[in-house]
Amino acid sequence: MDKSDNSGPDQVSTYCYQCVAGPDLLKVDIKDGVATQVRPNPSAAEIHPAGGKVCVKAYGLIQKTYNPNRVLTPMKRTNPKKGRDEDPGFVAISWDEALDTIAGKLNKVRSDGLNDESGFPRVAASFGGGGTPTSYMGTFPAFLAAWGPVDMSFGSGQGVKCYHSEHLYGELWHRAFIVSPDTPLAELIISFGTNTEASSGVCGIKRHADARDRGIKRIQVEPHLSVTGACSAQWVPIRPKTDAAFMFAMLHVVLHEADRARLDIPFLKERTSSPYLIGPNGFYLRQKSTAKPLIWDDKTNKAVPFDTPGAEPALEGEFTVSGIEIGADEARWEHSDIVCRPAFTHLSNHVRDFTPDWASQVCDVPADTIRSVANQYLDHAHIGETIDIEGMTLPFRPVAISLGKTVNNGWGGYECCWARTLLACLVGALEVPGGTLGTTVRLNRPADNRWSSVKQGPDGFMDYPMNPTAKGEWNANPRTRHAHQTLIPLAANSPWSQALGPTHLAWMMQQQGFENLPKPTTPDVWFVYRTNPAISFWDTKAVSDVMAKFPFTVCFAYTRDETNHMADILLPECTDLEGLQLIRIGGSKYIEQFWDHQGFALRNPASKPLGEARDFTWISTELARRTGILEGYNAAINRGAAGVGLKGENYDFSLDEETAHGVEEVWDAVCRAASAEVSDGAESQGLDYYREHGFRVRKFSRQRWYLYPEMVAQDLRFELPYQERLYRIGQELGARLHEHGITWWDRQLKEYEPMPNWHDLPGLWERALSEHFQIEINDFPFWLITARSMQYAWGGNAGIQMIHEVASNIAGHGGIIMNPAAADKLGLSEGDVVEVSSPVGKTQGAIVLRQGIRPDTLLMIGQFAHWSTPYAKDLGAPSMNELTPMILELTDATGSGADLVRVAVNRVGGNA
Amino acid sequence: MTRWAIVADLNRCVGCQTCTSACKHANATAPGIQWRKVLDIEAGEFPDVTRAFVPVGCMHCEEPPCLDVCPTTATGKRDDGIVTIDYDLCIGCAYCAVACPYQARARVDVPNKAFAGKQMRHETVMEHPDRRSVAQKCTFCIDKIDDGLANGLTPGVDPDATPACVNSCIAGALHFGDMDDSGSVVSRLLAEHKHFRMHEDLGTGPAIHYLWEHGTNRGEPPVSTPMVADPVGMGGVLPQLQKNWDWRAAANFIFGGAGTGLFLFAAIATFFTDPVWQVAFAAMALVATGLFFVWLEIGRPFRFANVYLHAKRSWMTREAMAALPFFAFGAASLVSASAIVWAAAAASGLAFLFCQAKILQAAKGIPAWRQDEIVPLIISTGLTEGLGLFAAFAVISGANNSLLHIVSVALMAFLAVRYIVWRKYRGALGKKGAPTGTFRVLDTGMVKFSAANQIFTAAFVAAGLMTPSLLAVGGLLAVLTGWSFKYTLIARAAFNQGYEINRMPARGAGSSSPGIKPGWMVS
Repeated sequence: MDKSDNSGPDQVSTYCYQCVAGPDLLKVDIKDGVATQVRPNPSAAEIHPAGGKVCVKAYGLIQKTYNPNRVLTPMKRTNPKKGRDEDPGFVAISWDEALDTIAGKLNKVRSDGLNDESGFPRVAASFGGGGTPTSYMGTFPAFLAAWGPVDMSFGSGQGVKCYHSEHLYGELWHRAFIVSPDTPLAELIISFGTNTEASSGVCGIKRHADARDRGIKRIQVEPHLSVTGACSAQWVPIRPKTDAAFMFAMLHVVLHEADRARLDIPFLKERTSSPYLIGPNGFYLRQKSTAKPLIWDDKTNKAVPFDTPGAEPALEGEFTVSGIEIGADEARWEHSDIVCRPAFTHLSNHVRDFTPDWASQVCDVPADTIRSVANQYLDHAHIGETIDIEGMTLPFRPVAISLGKTVNNGWGGYECCWARTLLACLVGALEVPGGTLGTTVRLNRPADNRWSSVKQGPDGFMDYPMNPTAKGEWNANPRTRHAHQTLIPLAANSPWSQALGPTHLAWMMQQQGFENLPKPTTPDVWFVYRTNPAISFWDTKAVSDVMAKFPFTVCFAYTRDETNHMADILLPECTDLEGLQLIRIGGSKYIEQFWDHQGFALRNPASKPLGEARDFTWISTELARRTGILEGYNAAINRGAAGVGLKGENYDFSLDEETAHGVEEVWDAVCRAASAEVSDGAESQGLDYYREHGFRVRKFSRQRWYLYPEMVAQDLRFELPYQERLYRIGQELGARLHEHGITWWDRQLKEYEPMPNWHDLPGLWERALSEHFQIEINDFPFWLITARSMQYAWGGNAGIQMIHEVASNIAGHGGIIMNPAAADKLGLSEGDVVEVSSPVGKTQGAIVLRQGIRPDTLLMIGQFAHWSTPYAKDLGAPSMNELTPMILELTDATGSGADLVRVAVNRVGGNA
Repeated sequence: MTRWAIVADLNRCVGCQTCTSACKHANATAPGIQWRKVLDIEAGEFPDVTRAFVPVGCMHCEEPPCLDVCPTTATGKRDDGIVTIDYDLCIGCAYCAVACPYQARARVDVPNKAFAGKQMRHETVMEHPDRRSVAQKCTFCIDKIDDGLANGLTPGVDPDATPACVNSCIAGALHFGDMDDSGSVVSRLLAEHKHFRMHEDLGTGPAIHYLWEHGTNRGEPPVSTPMVADPVGMGGVLPQLQKNWDWRAAANFIFGGAGTGLFLFAAIATFFTDPVWQVAFAAMALVATGLFFVWLEIGRPFRFANVYLHAKRSWMTREAMAALPFFAFGAASLVSASAIVWAAAAASGLAFLFCQAKILQAAKGIPAWRQDEIVPLIISTGLTEGLGLFAAFAVISGANNSLLHIVSVALMAFLAVRYIVWRKYRGALGKKGAPTGTFRVLDTGMVKFSAANQIFTAAFVAAGLMTPSLLAVGGLLAVLTGWSFKYTLIARAAFNQGYEINRMPARGAGSSSPGIKPGWMVS
């Protein structure tokens, strides 16, 4: 690029969507054609929930653009051997050669058949977490849509680094792919390890800072004092993975120590399954004629269907009733004059033994603390109060519980999600102002609209697109290498489901295969973009070994890294500040993005592409053209694969389907359609408008932050506390698996309990490690956990100097955080270099002593241990990913596992 | 009047370093240089631990120590309170950097380069050659303020007139405004919250105010911050050994003190014996050597004459001014036996030595230096070294016994005085408190002024009453212990102030708790 070129604008508007907590809007200063400075976008101050601000990561974009370590030409591998110790021998090639090589492979796939002999797609693709790469990959989704089956099961961290249980159970219970407190109105938030101040983005930071300013109480329950704990009113240092016991004890206090008047009885009666009568086999007792679940009507003193108008449901008691039960696989029991109890009574009995004294022993937290937290929860619930939201009167329940990553993931995730959501129900705080809310949907449809995703389902609950478990419907031949449709009913089968299946199973299957599932095959072509699973997954050595076996890997490469070390072709695409794209903004999005507006924002290039980097849309179009699917590709864009359909009721900006269109031509059409959508067809401004203004929005009603109004409108109930549907599905799934000789998933089947029990989760980890690796667990005396870093989480910024520099101001980055008393016992001091080892691996780093961590726990922030990524590889930072085993014993029924392992610490050197 | 200030709400700050990054962008600072940054501070012991994030940077003090010490007037203070640096005047002596108790100043001698190899494009475009090798620090984004005001904007309200760090703050923790405007957001926040300023006891009047709890300061008892000698995990917060003045600066104190001391005693000796020009020459050579080393250390050595621009307040200017008559009269003394010439040179030398002592005392950023007791200590040390050297010269040149006896007795007296002054200094330092590292260095290892060392030295000097050659040994020991002490004081014990937090903030409905002054102790 000519440095003297100053003919362009001196500032452009764009967006940052490096992390799932975005997108956020910013401006970039340009001097002599060079992007020089990132600034907030003050013109977005009125419409963006965080006032047009962007977080520290966005300020890394300038270095990210001009980083001398970028890959700036297409490259091909010359060493056919793949592996960490093999030099790939990458040499520069032309775009024509690169694209023709890829197209050649793809065309062969098409001629061989899109699926292989095992029924798996021959083409696979892996993208970084949370769907953020979509906002940088231009029209590539249109290419994928036009291509046909693509296996996205080779995860880059999904299931191990996300809020996995919450994604699945959250969507089931309240259309909550991500759960968030209604922070602007909440009075009390009990956070079990949610690292809000590190991972909730600028919107979360702003909302919580505002809340603190007005005096919110946030109680942070976690083994170490994170930045979020630092910003909380109280820190409760709980033993790792015992959060469920804490919440069970809260349920005990609420149900056995508090007066019933402190609960939201009407909510429980009308909006939950609490009054549903439970039969002796554990299924709802149903009316014989209609098969509708029965409740006991106190008014008529008899059992009636749950939807009987005017009924006064009984929540507690024992009632003599008649009816039927419907179990798994249409099993049917008929009962006459049996004694049944409502689900609420079952719940009360279920938690009777979970006393604070019991939990105290499990959690290593004083019983009084647990009791106090539970009582504060009731104190702040404002039972019976209402609030006006834009003219609508809604319940006001300003208490919420949030769950962090390791709390949410793996064994115990179900227990925690259930207890959290149930605690909300008990005080009527689910999906109402001040309470616990969902943010967005990804498994239910339509994905951009929570209200519209609320559809009538069975038994008065919302519908849910479970993968079928019934005989004849169950999917015995998975179409993805992690078999999400086969193993995980809750994962559903939306475009997002593949990424949510048990993604480590895809890697594990490559290692060992699974009995009675199709033979594992490698994908013929694997696309990788904005992800580095060789670093971001568990047991990174095993994952790296697997990807080294893939025959043809195409990596869109920013710099060299540990995953593209195994690639055959590297493609340099325009980075964040170089590419052109329009995306949707606003509405309610995860993590805490609750907007009063919705619309579109443009990624307007602030810098000309460096070297041979090309816009992703150009690359996609070229691939479509060279693989003969241009028509389908254009058709997909016209349908909306680029974010907005080009044809609406009052407008049609469709692209000619037989022509290859230029990048600006494509996005101009998308901009016009977006303008039309935002203005209900009245306007049609194109690219120039967005270049000038940066974004365009319209009003989004705050009422839509809450699901409750739609539930009332459709007279639906939240499916809590009793999980009759899951109980049945679990039994059916077990039957199907066993019919096919699959018994290796039996442990997971036990999770399908109608109400979860306590399963000694720390002991489960200890036993799994002991038995699987034949080790003495006491040789690994510490629990190792991790925490997100705002500076590093998402975005692939480990190789950015400025990010490293500023992150170093926060204690613990790049080291191993340890309690000084524990260190003292081992004779370790600040800065000592130690080796931390688990049964599967070892990592090294320097000790960082902090008082804010339990003596039995170690913490490694972020994900490092790079060995190829320039700059990052020289940081010497440890990573727990090398230490976390990828084993079935630690995989829960949703297919996820937790960032948790037992480790030993040994000094390897003097003071660092 | 206008008094610009920043208010940092510690309840809101999350330590994200967005302000740090925005500042780096706006000011194109070098890798590793942060005009604005946020500290991560932990207080208490498990399980009763609190953690806070504290934005720091140039405090734009009401009484800026950097302003007083600057020898070139490069550091200025505007009527609106902003402390400025004229990069064209600054010689890069880094005196301001050691005078600042907030570690806000830095000097960068090389072009910005975040990665190995060539500069990145934006680094080239945003290069500031005028800032090379001179002092730099936060400017409160002065250009934005001035341009904004010129365009009718209000700093602190309009983003285009507000510092980049404040604009960027995602937590709404940083606020900027005019303290003299009772309606400004900063004035309102200070009226509604309890607040403190860092290192308030140093009397600098910093313009960054920290909110730690809702309420008002009225009726609050004075807050004393608990010192914690060896806290864990706070590398970025603890006092650090200053790196601005290294052995070259130490050499100036070493040779300057000894040289001026030597000249003084050579001049006094003229009352007893003939003037010895070689001693005068040696004395001047020592002082000149010290100054030469300083010249090597400054960032812009060819601007050294700017050192004379701040006689009104800077002891460094005064030191440089004292050097002129010292060398002028000293040069005259080489050819003149006039008592007036010798006395004038000696008096100038004494003034030079006094200025050196005051230079250290004015360096408010270094607790080991800023004690009042540093002045007699530096003077007595210089004089003792001078007398020690003179004793050696006298012995070597075969001076008469009566002179040697006087010198022996005098040197023993000076050794005693030096020891007493040292103990007084150390006692005062221990009582007030200082960085743990300072005590560790001063009290352990090669202890320079220990009683044993002094008695050992004095024994040689006393033996010199019988055997003159031992007086020479004693004299040189007095010199070596003094030099060793000064090297230690300048280059090894000079831990900076570090940071502290007076109160850990109340977070939301939580309560505040005692703060922490990490890495400090009384001893």
